[in-house]
Amino acid sequence: MKNKLKTVKPPKIAPYSKAHERYLKKLRNDKIFVISFQVVILFTFIGLWELLTATKVIDPFFVSSPSRVFNMFISLVEDGTIWRHIGITLLETIVGFAIATLGGTLIAILLWWNKRLRRILEPYIVVLNSLPKIALGPIIILWVGSGMSAIITMCVLICIVLTTISMLNAFNSCDADKIQLMKSMHANKFQIFWKLILPNATDEFISVLKINVGMSWVGTIMGEYLSSSAGLGYLIVYGSQIFKIDLVMTSTVLLCLLAALMYLAICLIQKWHSR
Amino acid sequence: MSAMLEFKDVNFFYQTKAAEIHALKDLNFTVEEQSFASIVGPSGCGKTTILSLIAGLLKKSSGRILLNGKEIEENDWRIGYMFQRDHLFEWRTIWQNVILGIELNKPKDADKKKEFAQQLLKKYDLYDFISSKPRSLSGGMRQRVALIRTLVMEPALLLLDEPFSALDFQTRLKVCDDVYEIIKSEQKTAVLVTHDISEAISMSDKIIVLSSRPATVKHVQMLNLNGETPLSRREDPTFGALFDLIWKKLTNEKQTQNS
Ligand SMILES: Nc1ncnc2c1ncn2[C@@H]1O[C@H](COP(=O)(O)OP(=O)(O)OP(=O)(O)O)[C@@H](O)[C@H]1O
Ligand SMILES: [Mg+2]
Repeated sequence: MKNKLKTVKPPKIAPYSKAHERYLKKLRNDKIFVISFQVVILFTFIGLWELLTATKVIDPFFVSSPSRVFNMFISLVEDGTIWRHIGITLLETIVGFAIATLGGTLIAILLWWNKRLRRILEPYIVVLNSLPKIALGPIIILWVGSGMSAIITMCVLICIVLTTISMLNAFNSCDADKIQLMKSMHANKFQIFWKLILPNATDEFISVLKINVGMSWVGTIMGEYLSSSAGLGYLIVYGSQIFKIDLVMTSTVLLCLLAALMYLAICLIQKWHSR
Repeated sequence: MSAMLEFKDVNFFYQTKAAEIHALKDLNFTVEEQSFASIVGPSGCGKTTILSLIAGLLKKSSGRILLNGKEIEENDWRIGYMFQRDHLFEWRTIWQNVILGIELNKPKDADKKKEFAQQLLKKYDLYDFISSKPRSLSGGMRQRVALIRTLVMEPALLLLDEPFSALDFQTRLKVCDDVYEIIKSEQKTAVLVTHDISEAISMSDKIIVLSSRPATVKHVQMLNLNGETPLSRREDPTFGALFDLIWKKLTNEKQTQNS
């Protein structure tokens, strides 16, 4: 049925006149300008860092240096340990992220479905949301044991409450008239949720994904600070304890890269969705 | 012509924390089979409430609402409801929007209904946009899609709640004509709620003028203007006089409301 239908292609964007051509050129130049400045800032930062430490203006013992970071990275790659640390942190983050996002959304669905339950639980959710989750660290370790399960729990705790609140808001912000329309077409509650409320909340869901990417890294690293024997957070703590700033910096840089990559993945999902 | 829809002493109250709101009071009117009736009345008098009662979205407090002589029931497919805004789902294509009713209710003759949907889309110049998203359509086109979405389930009675008020004047006249044409050629009965007296006169066989809340029927005007389309009826020599009459009935009401 559907594939029989004709597709209407949007018109190709092409210059229509001299003015339009100028406009497109300006857009392109703007973009080039912005990107080149971003690159310049990055390299200036790295360059200054290297220069100031090489000339001993600042002490590389405390701030490390780009070349030291690079050498540290190479040696970590050569002895192969770095992959294990990256793998563990990445695993903890992704698992925590997935559990928190799915779990939070499921709870939001439950609370949307049952108004009374929502009203009963509302104050508890508010309190949970304002509680600094790190305070629960010792209790978490007592309850689920130290190590990976504690870290994932911390990560989930940090993300899940906000996910629930945001998704519930998105569900409840659906236009009441649209719900009436569905009812006038005799939709049942499940259909109203599945065909209206849920798709209507996709934009909010994507922004929740973006927030959770950041928050889940916070949760994992915080968890690793608390109790861990491997992972990038562990390397950072360990490095600072033995005054190996090179190790601390290398792990931090890797953390930045990984978080950026994960954020980029979400942006790709968004692009694919809104195409 | 026999009465298709009949309101007999219908009362309706909204319950709110602050008060009980008497929206409809002893309401009586009829709408004949395959006729076009308009409801006009001051803002907030209870027009939308009437349509919601017919559509089964609200339950009357007392009285009787009859469709073809029988009390209306919930989930009656003989009734189609078109809202003020088109409420197309932006994440669905035009086609997916149009077949929403089929998707929700999975009728036995789904294939036949889909074919009918395609016919309607073709007839009203929307077939080329079938796989576009609603955002690429103009306001008038969107409103026509919304009407087709309602028509696909083949209701006998159409409820229209100010379906043109969001459109600019020119589009409005055009869409009025289109919608009127569709309704007449599909042999539907229609109840239109509108603020616009000329729109009511140009489209209807009957105009029901309501008082302010609690709504009662203040005046019923039967019409028989010359002209095939709403636009051509606006040329009828009695149009001006009718406008004045309805206007008086309405504003008269508003004055008593103020004093
Ligand atoms: N859900 C509700 N709860 C309480 N009161 C309501 C509710 N919906 C409508 N009302 C009240 O009932 C009255 C009639 O409302 P209704 O929407 O039917 O008016 P209307 O004639 O359609 O108004 P408008 O011309 O603005 O569309 C209004 O005074 C409104 O304040
Ligand atoms: Mg209304």
